[in-house]
Amino acid sequence: MRAKRRVPYREYALLVALSLAAAGVLAGQVAAPNKEQTNDAAGFKQFMGGVEEYLKLHKAVEKQLPALKNKEELPEMIAAHQQAMARKIREARPHAGPGDIFTHASREAFRHVIRGVWQDPENATARTTLRQGDRVKGVRLRVNGIYPDAIAETTFPPTLLQKLPALPDELAYRIVGRDLVLVDRRANLVVDLLHEALP
Amino acid sequence: MRRRIFLFLIILTVLMSVLGADEFKFPLKPDSVRFAAIGDMGTGKPPQYETAQQMLKAREAFPFEFVTMLGDNIYGGSKPADFDRKFAVPYKPLIDAGVKFYASLGNHDNTNERFYKPFNMNGESYYTYKKGNVRFFVLNSNYMDPKQTAWLETQLKDAGNGDWKICIFHHPLYSSAKFHGSALDLRQLLEPLFIKYGVDVVLSGHDHVYERVHPQHGIYYFTEGASGELRAGDLARSAITDRGFDTDRSFMLIEIAGDEMSFQTISRTGATVDSGVIHRTIR
Repeated sequence: MRAKRRVPYREYALLVALSLAAAGVLAGQVAAPNKEQTNDAAGFKQFMGGVEEYLKLHKAVEKQLPALKNKEELPEMIAAHQQAMARKIREARPHAGPGDIFTHASREAFRHVIRGVWQDPENATARTTLRQGDRVKGVRLRVNGIYPDAIAETTFPPTLLQKLPALPDELAYRIVGRDLVLVDRRANLVVDLLHEALP
Repeated sequence: MRRRIFLFLIILTVLMSVLGADEFKFPLKPDSVRFAAIGDMGTGKPPQYETAQQMLKAREAFPFEFVTMLGDNIYGGSKPADFDRKFAVPYKPLIDAGVKFYASLGNHDNTNERFYKPFNMNGESYYTYKKGNVRFFVLNSNYMDPKQTAWLETQLKDAGNGDWKICIFHHPLYSSAKFHGSALDLRQLLEPLFIKYGVDVVLSGHDHVYERVHPQHGIYYFTEGASGELRAGDLARSAITDRGFDTDRSFMLIEIAGDEMSFQTISRTGATVDSGVIHRTIR
């Protein structure tokens, strides 16, 4: 007959305490990203607020111009429309600068999400996409400046794109060097810049 | 005597290759869908013009009705003169003959090219159209956002299994070229959809070579990125390569009749560099 081993209360209490401590540590590990996710969500919400404001401006400017609806066989009309859009948007926000839409909170959110994708071994293909692209060198972009036609559009890693706030059709993200660029597609205009967004 | 026989054999071989160069192997069945595919062509330089001339010549024997453009349609600018020099002028004889062009956007294209009427994009950077029993899905692989992938899934699903499904976009999911290579990140996103909804053929550009890869999960992938640009010697033939050509410009001719797709790839000088027939199996 095997004697039942009694667990002394003191040992039992220690065991429970250790278990609770371990659970606490684990819970903390789970909770930490949640907090970051909350911050990211708040940052992205702020960003999208800025995007909506810009979109109102874009649409107001577009209304002032003759519609461009694939009736335009002449490239002159497409070019003229693009230039007029850019000019009028510049006039409407003459003091626009980096950070107007990529606000402080949203900058942190973008950098955090991008860093997450970059450091995730399962997302190595996102980094590969940029390495495989045509090199964009010596390009200095500025807010309210034209995105130069002569340079190739860096292919935006699709898996990263799935994790960023979805933009309306009028706008797009681009990556130039390590910077994240917000571009107005119709006007081919740089709307905002987030320097060193990529690790 | 032996020397004469040897000489005769050489002449015969040369003659056969020359005669074979312009030989088109298409069934030319009534009501078939006939088209050409060109990629990375918009340079405005002589090789683009010469390739366009060869397309015109090929059309005499193989009357294709439209051309799919695999991106990089207008390199280096979007001024009106660029549209002329890099598209309207080189393809004028084809345009005048009623051949329609359907463009996709490459990484060197201005997104506003979608408003250029001869590109038939109807102001959209991704769109779909149907010819006979073939449904084409033209994608913007520069910017594969969730909205576009959702759109693609809906379109592929709605297309059912009756028609051929051909996807067209700039960045190749499979490529053995050294400069860019396979777009792995894009593949991660698109390939599951292609497999799920039974895409048959994918046409891409971006790498300035021609390559046909062995079918991947039952899907045929072609890269034709040398209809204007060329990166000579860039093709590092790999296990996936079935046929490749990287010493001159080229374009593709395709005929789809019922469940058969015949294709032929022609070089700037008129030589056939690849040809074959694909039999469609509904998955």
